[in-house]
Amino acid sequence: MDKILELKNLKVSFRTNNGTVKAVRDISFDLERGKTLAVVGESGSGKSVTSKAILGILAGNAIIEGGEIIYDGRDLLKVSEEDMCKIRGDKISIIFQDPLSSLNPIVRIGKQITEAMLLKNKAGRKESRRQFNDMLAMLKKNMTAANTDLGADKVAQLCKTFDQFCIVANRMEHKYNDAITVAEDLKSGIEDFLFRMEKHQKMDVKASLQRFRSNLKTISNPFFAKNYGTQLSQLGNRLGKVSGDYKKGDKELPQSIVTTLKEVEQVLTEMENRTRPDFFSIGYYKMRNPQENLTSRDVAELNAFCAQYIQKEFLDAFVEAEVKGVAYSGRKAMEKKKTALEQLEKAVPFFQGQYDSKDALHLAKELSDSVEASIDRLEINKDSLAYTFRTSLNSAINKYFRAMENNPKEEKRFEQQTKQREALIAKGKKVDWSVVPKQVYDLEELHEEVLRVVTDLQKHYGKLIARADQVDYRAEGQAIIEFMKDKASKVVYKVTRAIAKERAIKLMEEVGISEPRMRYTQYPFEFSGGMRQRIVIAIALAANPEILICDEPTTALDVTIQAQILELINKLKKERNLSVIFITHDLGVVANMADDIAVMYAGKIVEYGTADDIFYDPKHPYTWALLSSMPDLDTNERLEAIPGTPPNMIYPPVGDAFADRNKYAMEIDFEQQPPMFQVSDTHYAATWLLHPDAPKVEMPAIIRNRIERMNKKAGGAQNG
Amino acid sequence: MDNQEVLLKVEHLSQHFGPVKAVDDVSFEIRKGEVFGLVGESGCGKTTTGRSIIKLYDITGGNIYFKGQRICAGTLTYTQELKELRAKIQELKKKGGASQEISDCEARIAQLKDEIKRAKLDHHHSDEEYAQKLAKDVEKKYQDLMAKADPQKLPELKKQYQEELRLAKKTRLITQIQMIFQDPIASLNPRMTVREIISEGLTIAGIRDQEYIDKKVYEILELVGLVREHATRYPHEFSGGQRQRIGIARAVVMEPSLLIADEPVSALDVSIQAQVINLLNDLRKTLDLTILFIAHDLSVVKYFSDRIGVMYFGNLVELADSDELFAHPLHPYTKSLLSAIPLPDPRTEKNRTRIVYNALASHDYSVDKPSLREIKPGHFVRCNDAEEAQYKKELGL
Repeated sequence: MDKILELKNLKVSFRTNNGTVKAVRDISFDLERGKTLAVVGESGSGKSVTSKAILGILAGNAIIEGGEIIYDGRDLLKVSEEDMCKIRGDKISIIFQDPLSSLNPIVRIGKQITEAMLLKNKAGRKESRRQFNDMLAMLKKNMTAANTDLGADKVAQLCKTFDQFCIVANRMEHKYNDAITVAEDLKSGIEDFLFRMEKHQKMDVKASLQRFRSNLKTISNPFFAKNYGTQLSQLGNRLGKVSGDYKKGDKELPQSIVTTLKEVEQVLTEMENRTRPDFFSIGYYKMRNPQENLTSRDVAELNAFCAQYIQKEFLDAFVEAEVKGVAYSGRKAMEKKKTALEQLEKAVPFFQGQYDSKDALHLAKELSDSVEASIDRLEINKDSLAYTFRTSLNSAINKYFRAMENNPKEEKRFEQQTKQREALIAKGKKVDWSVVPKQVYDLEELHEEVLRVVTDLQKHYGKLIARADQVDYRAEGQAIIEFMKDKASKVVYKVTRAIAKERAIKLMEEVGISEPRMRYTQYPFEFSGGMRQRIVIAIALAANPEILICDEPTTALDVTIQAQILELINKLKKERNLSVIFITHDLGVVANMADDIAVMYAGKIVEYGTADDIFYDPKHPYTWALLSSMPDLDTNERLEAIPGTPPNMIYPPVGDAFADRNKYAMEIDFEQQPPMFQVSDTHYAATWLLHPDAPKVEMPAIIRNRIERMNKKAGGAQNG
Repeated sequence: MDNQEVLLKVEHLSQHFGPVKAVDDVSFEIRKGEVFGLVGESGCGKTTTGRSIIKLYDITGGNIYFKGQRICAGTLTYTQELKELRAKIQELKKKGGASQEISDCEARIAQLKDEIKRAKLDHHHSDEEYAQKLAKDVEKKYQDLMAKADPQKLPELKKQYQEELRLAKKTRLITQIQMIFQDPIASLNPRMTVREIISEGLTIAGIRDQEYIDKKVYEILELVGLVREHATRYPHEFSGGQRQRIGIARAVVMEPSLLIADEPVSALDVSIQAQVINLLNDLRKTLDLTILFIAHDLSVVKYFSDRIGVMYFGNLVELADSDELFAHPLHPYTKSLLSAIPLPDPRTEKNRTRIVYNALASHDYSVDKPSLREIKPGHFVRCNDAEEAQYKKELGL
């Protein structure tokens, strides 16, 4: 359970001339690292508004009425615009629904894709260096404190070594990766070239061959030299010789060129599939023995040798000291947590009663200070409740007192204006303005909100302290090393314009744009709708974010491309441990992508569960309706369309918002909003049908049959 | 479908835009009363095929027959042969002798020129011919009637005759083919009311009786699930699904025998997709429509179509009954397409492996060129001799 993003009780509305549109009404969900959460619903259900709220790009007339969006220990609704700029696009990226409005019409496609890479790289190097240094300094402090037997000098020595060789190793690794990138690019270039020759498409053969030759020359890395160095240069020379065989105007390629190209392809494939050198350990060896030529050895042998060497010489000692340091810091934080918990417990009665603003803020400051002191700064997965405690508590208190102050004013205004309007109407005048509806907050609710912030953390700390002796400090130590390795890699990761171009072209190819080289210099208007969508996807991926929000990315695309892009997102998700929020109305797409699914209707989550829960055991009538309105390959029955349209959210329905269109609706659905009923540990649904007193209702036949078919298929597959 | 009457026949259809061969040698038949699905990725030429049939483009080569009459004809095949023959004659003349062969060639050239002339005539004047035929029928009918009629009623009859003759002359064969467009927003004129949009076709067809037109518009509106009051509104006042209904109403009001539905549901929400598909299904039954259904969503196509043609890069690569196609796909591209369909079943989805189609690796057409061949009655695949044998083996024939 490693949450990367948490949404809590988010409420968003839009002020319009006709009144306030309640677009998102109290939704909460968690996104786990490396998982995909799908948000499903019709247009107008508030899916896109949620995603825009996360990125802080809501329209100007939007009001965030409440809630929290917690990322990396911060509430995104409360961070400054400057800090948000560092997160938006860099950490959290979005693929927009409408490609037309998300591309700049007067900038070439290539520039738009590389822009993000270049900008982010420059800022990223600095930022990573800072993070690396901070982490190392903190680690050093704790290690020194924990390892009194080792001595401060020795610890400082260890940390310095770690810093130095990490950088050396990552420099080598990036050089290697660049070479591999060029090789992959060349390979796909050749494949594309041969395909198009076969199809007799118009192209400049001579120039292409020339380009292949020059690319072949640029593939050079000491780690390739032994096995492939001579081979590659020979092939380059041969390609130069045979390219003369092609005469301008020939329809077919001469056999000599084809075989040479095929050979090049083969060599490149071999190179890609070769065992990767383990640069982390090689880097250490290289630092110790800078004169020695490592590349003359076999890669597998070298890996094993260096791994042993680093272990014996350095890593074991370092890890041992580090784990001690981590444990020391963790235990110290736990002690502080205990004092913080005591303080929290004392504060609860205060917040339960009536209090005035000054006292409350004073106590809040004290509490926040002690909570802040209790945070273990060495933890990688930030404890969001503790980190956001100060802002949450302060804003909850402020909101409460502001409401107390403003509510009477608002009431008065509303009364006055209504009177004025009625007076005018009574005089028989034509009134062309209406009274703005009053915005009065529920004081009771806000009072409880303040208390909730405190008790939530109290419960959370209680749990943590109870589990204090189960913490695996060794695993945490390992995670810190991984984190620093990653940061070190980013410190030396320089993207030049040329590499950015190669990467952009590769990315364009990956998202299915043919002839990326030609298209690189084109403008957005020269692309069709589907192609533009792919460019937008490429741009979103170029920044290499942690969280990717996909807002209906494949709606306009056809099946094969859709499948390609979903696969691409899935692949990246695995490779980069990307967390994805996938917004769509197409449940078929969701089945492939999602780990968890939230079904939204009229600004609320009506059903939440794992993909299996939603597809094999749907509970909410709206989910049934969505499922039964789409055909699958075995559907012969008449589809069950959902009658009517979603409700007007200026006047949200009193009861269940779906009641009007729901053929299973009961009386209570029109009167009272259903709470979230828990079906299983992972599965929740907000429908009165789950109430123990409700009549038993079967899901529609079309879904029941489908689920039976699917179960049978699964059973058959297991037996066969 | 026992009905074997062919409503539309497409023969060797080619549509080139300069060097781009959008559609290249595509042949298929659509039988009366069936739904023929055309699938393929974007840019494979399926929309172009639909637009060529309805004569939005002048086709480059091939013939299209509608109700047995040639409505479109291209000259590409003739001009190609002509070029070859001329080159041959040149060569023969250079060598000298063989006058017999030369005269044979010249005879063939004359024949071809004639063919081209006729193709052009059919392509441009088939509608007029049809109108003339109708007019003649009307004339014949009224000659008899008028001869027998009693003199008092004669003026009235004459008026009726004039009216019918006028309408007959204005009738176009092509109006029996109607099209629904993909984008319900872009395809409706924002400055026209729904009534004007729906009745425009009738007005162009020469109907002047306003009452009749109103009646017809209301009828159609109710048929597609809208109400009379909607007639006076403008397109922007409707939701996406309703707009698509207006598009359908506009097509159906002309009482077409063939409806070309070009991705009618691709731009719609899932719940509304179901509404539109159900509507098309109902209309198909009540109005006895034949539908050419162009789409890329294979689950929808499978649900809706009787037969399916799969297109790839301007070629028709496979054609079969929809159940047969999904049960026994033969062409590698079809297989790859079927493997890409997303299904609402997480278990199979997570284990799904998409088959990647690479036109280069899958076929060897360097020697033997492929063509569309019938592997099994009703199941056509584009292949060459070696592949044909292999496909037959696959089906156990």
